[in-house]
Amino acid sequence: MLKLIARRLALLPLILLAVAAITFALTEISPFDPVDAYVGAESGVTPERKAEIAHARGFDQPLHERFGRWVANVAQGDLGTSVVAGGQPVAGEIAARMSASIALVGGALVLVLVGGLVFGVLAAALRGTFFDWLVRTLCYFNTAAPSFWVGLLALYVFSIELGWLPAGGTSDPRAVESGGIDLSHLILPMVVLAMTQYAWFTLFVRNTLLEVLREDHVQFARAQGIGEVAVLLRYALPNALIPFVTLVGTHLSELIGGTILVEAIFGWPGLGGLTLDAALGEDIPLLLGITLCASVLVVLGNLLADVLYRVMDPRVREAAT
Amino acid sequence: MSAGGALGASLPVGGRRMADAVRRWPVSMQVAAGVLAVLVVVALLANVIAPLDDAAVDLDRVLEGPSAAHPMGTDEVGRDLLVRVLHGVRISLGIAALAALGAVAVGALVGVLAGTLGGRADAVVMRVTDVFASQNHLLFGILLLVLFRPALGGAGAVMLAIALTHWPTLARIVRGELMSLRERPFVAAAVGGGASRRRLARRHYVPHLLPAVGLAFVLTVAHAIFHESAYSFLGLGLPAHQASLGNILNDGQRSLLAGGWWIALFPGLAILAAAMTIGTIAEHWREHLHPRWRSELEL
Amino acid sequence: MSARLEVVDLSVGFRTRRGIVQALTQVSVSVAPGERLLVVGESGSGKTVLAHALLALLPHNVDISGAIRLGDQALLELSPAELRRTRARRMALIPQSPASALNSVRRLGGQLVEAARARGLSEADARRRLRELLAELDLDLDAVGGRYVHQLSGGMQQRIVNAMALVGEPDIVIADEPTSGLDSDLVDTTAAQLRAISARGASLLVITHDLRLAERLGGRLALLYASRIVELGPTAAFFQAPSHPYGRELLRALPEREGKSIPGMSPQLTALPSHCAFADRCPDRFDRCGEAIPDLYPDPGGALARCFLHAAG
Repeated sequence: MLKLIARRLALLPLILLAVAAITFALTEISPFDPVDAYVGAESGVTPERKAEIAHARGFDQPLHERFGRWVANVAQGDLGTSVVAGGQPVAGEIAARMSASIALVGGALVLVLVGGLVFGVLAAALRGTFFDWLVRTLCYFNTAAPSFWVGLLALYVFSIELGWLPAGGTSDPRAVESGGIDLSHLILPMVVLAMTQYAWFTLFVRNTLLEVLREDHVQFARAQGIGEVAVLLRYALPNALIPFVTLVGTHLSELIGGTILVEAIFGWPGLGGLTLDAALGEDIPLLLGITLCASVLVVLGNLLADVLYRVMDPRVREAAT
Repeated sequence: MSAGGALGASLPVGGRRMADAVRRWPVSMQVAAGVLAVLVVVALLANVIAPLDDAAVDLDRVLEGPSAAHPMGTDEVGRDLLVRVLHGVRISLGIAALAALGAVAVGALVGVLAGTLGGRADAVVMRVTDVFASQNHLLFGILLLVLFRPALGGAGAVMLAIALTHWPTLARIVRGELMSLRERPFVAAAVGGGASRRRLARRHYVPHLLPAVGLAFVLTVAHAIFHESAYSFLGLGLPAHQASLGNILNDGQRSLLAGGWWIALFPGLAILAAAMTIGTIAEHWREHLHPRWRSELEL
Repeated sequence: MSARLEVVDLSVGFRTRRGIVQALTQVSVSVAPGERLLVVGESGSGKTVLAHALLALLPHNVDISGAIRLGDQALLELSPAELRRTRARRMALIPQSPASALNSVRRLGGQLVEAARARGLSEADARRRLRELLAELDLDLDAVGGRYVHQLSGGMQQRIVNAMALVGEPDIVIADEPTSGLDSDLVDTTAAQLRAISARGASLLVITHDLRLAERLGGRLALLYASRIVELGPTAAFFQAPSHPYGRELLRALPEREGKSIPGMSPQLTALPSHCAFADRCPDRFDRCGEAIPDLYPDPGGALARCFLHAAG
């Protein structure tokens, strides 16, 4: 097990290198001019001035030198400086916004897991009934409906029309301590973000559970007179949850995309909002930094999934040792 | 049997055979196909059925709710929303289809490369594919948009972003299918019979690849509609004069505070309709497909 | 406690898209305490359905008629809760494939204890009984309890499952294909284990297509063909001189006898004929066989055979 973890962690820098290389290559291929981006909408900037800027910021050096320098910097924790933030370090910008995103994503994950388990198990247990049909239909709508559209509607209904929940930001700007995160402000974005992942998980729990319920060991447990509830919770559900763990890794990256849209709608000051600011400001260093962090997250997520899988399934554990 | 013959046997040709086939579809599929057909017709004929003049700015009718005169209401400068949505459908579907085609083109190219080269080259190509596949679509797409929008314009950049984020699935399908095809006896027979590589490709490989690739294309269109709308909603996609459904939703976000919920509702409903119909058809199609590709083609 | 199992005119049909699959038609058997009944037939003849019907483990799309009585309880008339109690306290199943019947992601100790407690034993009693039973089978509860299924050999898995069946001292034990997947040299061991089970006083119903096992088990034998019982009588008598032509042909097909397989195929359960189902393959067929379904007639030896050859007159 430790060997697996060590091996995967050793691969991480290589993957990041590949991601960075691809991104650098794309930057090179694209007609994007970082000097233009830096200068912005100012007209009347002379070509000489542009050349000065290019030289000062190292844009005029050959690709491999720029890449090499960048890699060396990243290894020391320097992700470059952000255009949008007026020259502040990219790493700092990302760090500052991270806690807000963690709160949002963490809360959404809990909702997905709890809600998905409850409704997935119920739908499987009540298979064929109206409840099951309702759950499946709502999940189906959920996957087809764009998350940001649902977010807008939720914002309108719950915040603007009904006034139950605040419309955005992390806290009431008029309050005395408006730096922290006010829970009531977290609810809507968290729920909307949860809805992006909730459908696949609920359906997965339901369908896998139904498959497992057909397996021999479940029939045998029933044959011994064990009650249906015990059969469901102790013989079927644990077996069904094992494959789920492997899917968490892949869907983690989708959650990242979800935060971009949700934070845009609700004005949540997390990394999603930072991505949008970076994009609107054509801030390539910042975007690159965020992309790298996301890649790290994806690799770690997959690693976690593999580790959990080995921990949970004794057959795989055996084969490994 | 010629390639055309093999294909012809699987596609109903002629009105009556088609009608019979449709009648045998389950109800959900018939409804989905019907709605999708309506959307496609709208997309093709938007300029005819609802010319853009009808959506002229009319400051007397700013932010009116749905009514007989304006079934979807008007927006913040008084334009009729129904006309805007019809054109939005045209643009969104058009861009999505082209973007999906781009993904198929890139994916097929890479897949063929990996599938025919084999060995170390194949391994390298597949690792690169994995790296692309591991990137979050929106995040990576946004990066691409920023890089290419100045040169390609909103529409072009969006199509590129979608193509470059969605090709890995297709590459895997094409490569996998090619590798298995190479093992099959009929290929050995054809090669033994002196078939050139191009002939092999045309007559044997393509008919086998078409069903899976076709389904993947359809599913990618559904994804593309979502992504294009998302980019335009964020203000990074299409420009305002080429308003897609996403752009209208962006307007919708601003008009929400003023109570203009219809501007946020209707474009989203159109996206939902497109996604659901494509999804339903694709699901039914997937049931009939070779089990090997079902997991790659999960929605 | 032991009781007699009576199955009277049991018919089981499954409603499927292809039509009704008639798995059992008017099957009547009985097993007294300490007695062994073997239900023998080809795969697809309906034998496993009988086991599931007795345990009330059939899916929802079934039509059942007839009666099943265990002692004084009419099983088909019980509510689901009462059925579960009866299943737990009075019946036990030895499943076909122990490896897949046991939960592969839980340790065996938990499963063993849970099985015992489902039968009504307290935690302490459960452990005591299990320890005794496993010891008789040459296994140690503590050693095995911490293991997972895949860590045990096939033989050990079989013994675990036997222990789980006996822990509640059931009235009836149903063994479903006990030799499936086992090497042929284990037939004797299996037969011995099963005989030991019936020696404890329970009724034993063994479902099998393995004629060699049947021969070693003795007791009485019911031969199933195309959803009906076609022969019913002492096992020894069957192997000496079967009454029904199908039984005769089955024995001739054994490698150690003539090895001559029966031509043709048994009828589909979705399309059973309205005459003798074996007639098309029977070497002794005559006119009456193609006209009606025979009843079970007694043959000179006392066994019953569903064959017009034995009809009086």
